Amino acid sequence: MVVSPYCTIGPYFPASFVEGHEDLTHYRGGTARGQHIVLSGRILQEGGVPTRNTILEIWQADAAGIFRHSSDPRCREADPGFAGWGRARTDAEGWYRIRTVVPGSYGDRCPHANLMILAIGLTRRLVTTVFFPNSPDADPDTVRDPVLDCVKDATARKRLFAKRESAGEYRFDLILRGEGETPFFLD
Amino acid sequence: MTMSFSYDPYDDRTQLKRYIDRYPLSFTRTPLAPLVPRPLTLSEITGPAGTDLFTVGPMDLSRSAPDAPKATGQLIQISGRVTDEAGSPISGAVIEIWQANSAGKYIHEMDRHNAPIDPNFTGEGRLVTDADGQYQFFSIKPGAYPVLESGWWWRPPHVHFSILARSWMDRFVTQIFFPGEPLNETDLLLNAVPDRDVRERLIFQFDGTSMGEVNALGFRRDFVLRGRRQTPEID
Repeated sequence: MVVSPYCTIGPYFPASFVEGHEDLTHYRGGTARGQHIVLSGRILQEGGVPTRNTILEIWQADAAGIFRHSSDPRCREADPGFAGWGRARTDAEGWYRIRTVVPGSYGDRCPHANLMILAIGLTRRLVTTVFFPNSPDADPDTVRDPVLDCVKDATARKRLFAKRESAGEYRFDLILRGEGETPFFLD
Repeated sequence: MTMSFSYDPYDDRTQLKRYIDRYPLSFTRTPLAPLVPRPLTLSEITGPAGTDLFTVGPMDLSRSAPDAPKATGQLIQISGRVTDEAGSPISGAVIEIWQANSAGKYIHEMDRHNAPIDPNFTGEGRLVTDADGQYQFFSIKPGAYPVLESGWWWRPPHVHFSILARSWMDRFVTQIFFPGEPLNETDLLLNAVPDRDVRERLIFQFDGTSMGEVNALGFRRDFVLRGRRQTPEID
């Protein structure tokens, strides 16, 4: 069967569909294990212009590197206080802000979170992956990860790392087009 | 035993164009660099499956409570089925819909159109597909509305759909239009498709009328989400 066509999310995604989902650290009355952080940044279009009203969704492993999903063999050990999925909307200056935990590594995957962007003007979603450095002075060039390693250009590769601003704050900007463009993956 | 699914990249022939003439935002935020191919790992083939992240309901957008007054407009029933590429039903998929009221006005801070809000119309709904992948909402037929910054473009009546199904890979968002609307012929999005079959998949099929307890026009749209079951692996 032929897959259905995507279409843009448009400008009027209901506020109630976003509210409460910016925080992944509290789920069903529980509190997530691991290091709680704020992941924030700006989503910009060509010319560094902020994109207002863009929807960002996130999917990541818990602090122990486990996904609460039946395909993960360790699913039953997933952190019951961690949502794993979240959604945010950018403000007039293009800022998003998500409260989450530093994801754990597992297998051959380094700590990372999947991100997707839905916005007016985009007929399909854009997907990318943000990586979390192990330490503030970690060299991104030495990190090995099967998804990260698909980005061959060294400068573009560095753009997939969140910047650790303090113990509890990471910054990750997404530049959709133009100078400093974020690498996006074939979807 | 772990059940897993395989996902191929979208075939551009089944999708809207990324760049659309006279739609400036498609040119200012679509990446210039080619999209990077990557392998799919556990991280991408898992996702927010199941319903426990969401409050489900309402399934009836035409009133704010079962005993509340009806919204103004033509009552419609929207239904269909969600399957994967192999035709297997996807049960437990979360479907979110949102739309303008019968006057073409959304409940949203970004909507500057000077049409009236209908206090009885909720404008949004959410449900979970049943064991056979079926869904059903009640609503009011949405009105058309102008894209004010364009100076000419009127959006035909349409309903927005967002589906969260089995994984990060089959996450899906679209807009579905109504058959026979004159504005369908000029809509930039509906016409940004490579062929007629793709266009048809963005339009509801008229599904008859119901009379009695519910008096509504029926509209149907099935969805095929990306993904097919792989041969089960023995752990």
